[in-house]
Amino acid sequence: MAYSNKVIDHYENPRNVGSLPKEDPNVGTGLVGAPECGDVMKLQVKVNPATGVIDDAKFKTFGCGSAIASSSLATEWLKGKTVDEALAIKNTDIVTELSLPPVKIHCSVLAEDAIKAAISDYKKKQGVTGKTADTHAQPTA
Amino acid sequence: MTAPTIQVCRTCGGGAPIDVHFCPQCTKILTLGRQGDYFAFLDMPRKLNLDVGELEQRFRALSRRFHPDYFYNAPLAERRASLERSSYLNDAYRTLRQPVARIEYLLELEGMAAGSAERSGAAPQGGAVPPALLEEVFALNEELDEVRALREAGAPESAWKGRLQRARQPIDAKRAEHEEHLEELSAKWDALVDSHGSDGDRLAVLTALHQRMLERNYINNLLAGIERELAT
Repeated sequence: MAYSNKVIDHYENPRNVGSLPKEDPNVGTGLVGAPECGDVMKLQVKVNPATGVIDDAKFKTFGCGSAIASSSLATEWLKGKTVDEALAIKNTDIVTELSLPPVKIHCSVLAEDAIKAAISDYKKKQGVTGKTADTHAQPTA
Repeated sequence: MTAPTIQVCRTCGGGAPIDVHFCPQCTKILTLGRQGDYFAFLDMPRKLNLDVGELEQRFRALSRRFHPDYFYNAPLAERRASLERSSYLNDAYRTLRQPVARIEYLLELEGMAAGSAERSGAAPQGGAVPPALLEEVFALNEELDEVRALREAGAPESAWKGRLQRARQPIDAKRAEHEEHLEELSAKWDALVDSHGSDGDRLAVLTALHQRMLERNYINNLLAGIERELAT
């Protein structure tokens, strides 16, 4: 199967690989997995408490090229967005940007899940009821 | 579910039960069309602890009866039927012979496919894997990554081999536990088949089996990663 140039670029030069301090109250961590292929993806956001804007985002993904590219792209998009804007990112946006083939759509779903999980974790830390975040945390494949 | 239970012989037009291979009236081989499933095809119960010796015997006996050589001079429809039945038989045998493939097949039959990556667009059941397992898998993957980095930097074997072996222990333990659970659940399923257990009980066992199969890829990927490092 041929990967698109954008996937290869993100795979070979992944952006924002790494981790943020998990205990930081302004950091939200999402850890999700795709049991179908055994992939695991960690995505973290650091929110500026004054502005509510995501200052930094990091990821680490153990999985196929598409899963790595999806999460790499997601961290790029997250930076500079507000928490609510971040929740509006859809897996279909990632599919379009990376020209993912149908068999790799689940990788983009995983990235969207990771964003939702990270934001949900952040909100929980901030004392916002986790419920509002959870209702959003449904993948929209 | 209303699966067909009757098939029609194309040679004599007589009716035959769905899982019979040769027409009871005219004895000709039946076209393969609306067969039931691998278990029924081999006339074996839908159980997970199959008698493998029995499976083997049935496979061999049917292989002989379907063999295309015996249909060399037969009409086209019969020749085709012999090929189709031989090929289906091979698939059935290959699948049912291996315990894990057997479980996957059963889940598929019972409408609980383990969810292949090929089925795109389907929402991954990320929540189905316990978060603790994900954490562990992630940490072990990181450890593997570090070992790889060490090796790329030219570190001596003494600097990484021990770490690799230590990383291996919890996964080996998990793998053993996983196999044990599969065995327990398989025995439970078989008991339900024998006792004609309720739909609720069957669903509970199938769901648990499905859960276990989800873990499997993680455990196997990790073990494969470690094996690869140890082998090179």
